[in-house]
Amino acid sequence: MEGRKFRQLMFALAVVVASAVPAAGQTVYTPARTQDGQPDLQGIWQVVNTAAWNIEDHNASLGVPAGRAVVDGDGTIPYQPWALEQRNENYANRATLDPENSCFTSGVPRITYMPYPFQIIQQPDKVNILYEYNHSLRHIYMNGNPHPEGPINWWMGDSRGTWEGDTLVVDVVHFTDQTWFDRAGNFHGEGLHVVERYTPTGANHMLYEATIEDAAVFTRPWNMSMTLYRRMDPTPELLEYECYAYMIEENWPN
Amino acid sequence: MRDSLTALAAALAVVLATPAAAAGQGMFEVGNPPGPGAKSWLAERATLPPYDPARMSDGRPDLRGRWGGSSSGDVIEDTEYVDVTTPAWESHVSNPAGGKLPYQPWALAARDAHRAGLARGWPGETGDRLHLDPQTFCVKSAPRYAQRGFDLAQTPDHVAMMLNWGHVHRSIPIAADSAHPTSAATFWMGSPRGHWEGDTLVVEVTNINGKMWLDSVGNFYSDNARVVERFRLVSANQIDYEVRIEDPTVFTEPVTLSYDLQRDGTGPRLGGGAGGGTPGPYASESWEHACHEGNTHHVQEVHVLGFKWYKGAVRPE
Repeated sequence: MEGRKFRQLMFALAVVVASAVPAAGQTVYTPARTQDGQPDLQGIWQVVNTAAWNIEDHNASLGVPAGRAVVDGDGTIPYQPWALEQRNENYANRATLDPENSCFTSGVPRITYMPYPFQIIQQPDKVNILYEYNHSLRHIYMNGNPHPEGPINWWMGDSRGTWEGDTLVVDVVHFTDQTWFDRAGNFHGEGLHVVERYTPTGANHMLYEATIEDAAVFTRPWNMSMTLYRRMDPTPELLEYECYAYMIEENWPN
Repeated sequence: MRDSLTALAAALAVVLATPAAAAGQGMFEVGNPPGPGAKSWLAERATLPPYDPARMSDGRPDLRGRWGGSSSGDVIEDTEYVDVTTPAWESHVSNPAGGKLPYQPWALAARDAHRAGLARGWPGETGDRLHLDPQTFCVKSAPRYAQRGFDLAQTPDHVAMMLNWGHVHRSIPIAADSAHPTSAATFWMGSPRGHWEGDTLVVEVTNINGKMWLDSVGNFYSDNARVVERFRLVSANQIDYEVRIEDPTVFTEPVTLSYDLQRDGTGPRLGGGAGGGTPGPYASESWEHACHEGNTHHVQEVHVLGFKWYKGAVRPE
């Protein structure tokens, strides 16, 4: 009897030790593998935060929940002086200037933290992300091709992926200057370079990190990070938000 | 110079006729024999030996890959050559046997009105402007998405179809234990539910909003339609694609459309929506096609010209 209790205690202790937080940089969780041997990130995911409204700290206001910054460090974006003025002007005129209000494709990383789910589906040569918003679609190619030669201006940029352990690292370039980071006027130029990192931290969570670089707008590269949550509804599915179809229909009295 | 002017004029005509729909679509010559439709495909299919497909680890047929479009032109019934956008083509309707959609009388009148109001300079038009093909506003529907071709990804619980055209995608839950939404919720692409019947992937689509046409010349269904798609590999590079449309509001009997989908790069079909046209090592990639973002002028122009937004057909009381 005593021996059995001791073994139970030792087992519990082993579990605690095994699941203890390891040193920084180490991955705790080892995800399952896909049929092709990749870390399996597949499923329907969504953020639970207020970054869609503003990626910096912000007050609540009518229709806007208060929120903490997803920008790492002191929570502010290191704008060059002219760019900070531009951001403030964007904010003041956001009702007309925000590309979301024209139903344009959101760009990266904004599409990640829009208040709509997205689905990751992996193929041998690429990771696909299907977004409910405007049925936006990304192919993150992992076929060995480098970024195609520019100049190219794509709303969602050109995405090339690699695996660092179980982390999907995505290098994205060839953007337009027509997309914003949020509804608060935070913006970038067409020289934007984004490096995203998708790290599974448990069966139902991922850490999403993005490094933002644009020497024409910011004084230095900066990072944002947030948690992605697996949609746990009994039968989650992507529905549809055809923004521009609703907009055209509303603005077109026959 | 003269040749290039002619080419320019032809290109301009295409742009004016179907600004958004023409993107990526070839131009067609007069005098070619009709392209292959349902009759040709069913005749070819009958000659194919039994095929045992490669399989996924769950034992299901491996349908993954880039599949070319179901039709190069975009007219469901038999059509004569009309212009560079609309070649002669055999009907895609395999049932009813005559190849014509079995419209109820009111619906046939509505279809004819759609066609007469296209204002494309075609025979039989009234000169009135009624609707443009809704696809010119960058929307898609089931089953019309398949006309452009797609890249198919497959997991045990989902099949995804990803078009390069307008970055449209579908995510189809497989054998999900969940009912369709009530009719209060409708969608451009409908609500899909998939399951396997032997080696055939069957996708049932309901909750269609009825605001999309079945082709570019006014053929249509309603928000009462139920669509059942069947996908079966019949050779390494061909999918037999059958679409059954039940719509008791519009048709007198169920309709069946029959197509073959050809694996990209293995036949004469255009890669269509799966991509194509990208250079060298990028040939198998799908690059961005932002449809709506470049369409603002088109929307404004056709609005000013007096075309009406198509809100879906309603059967008269």
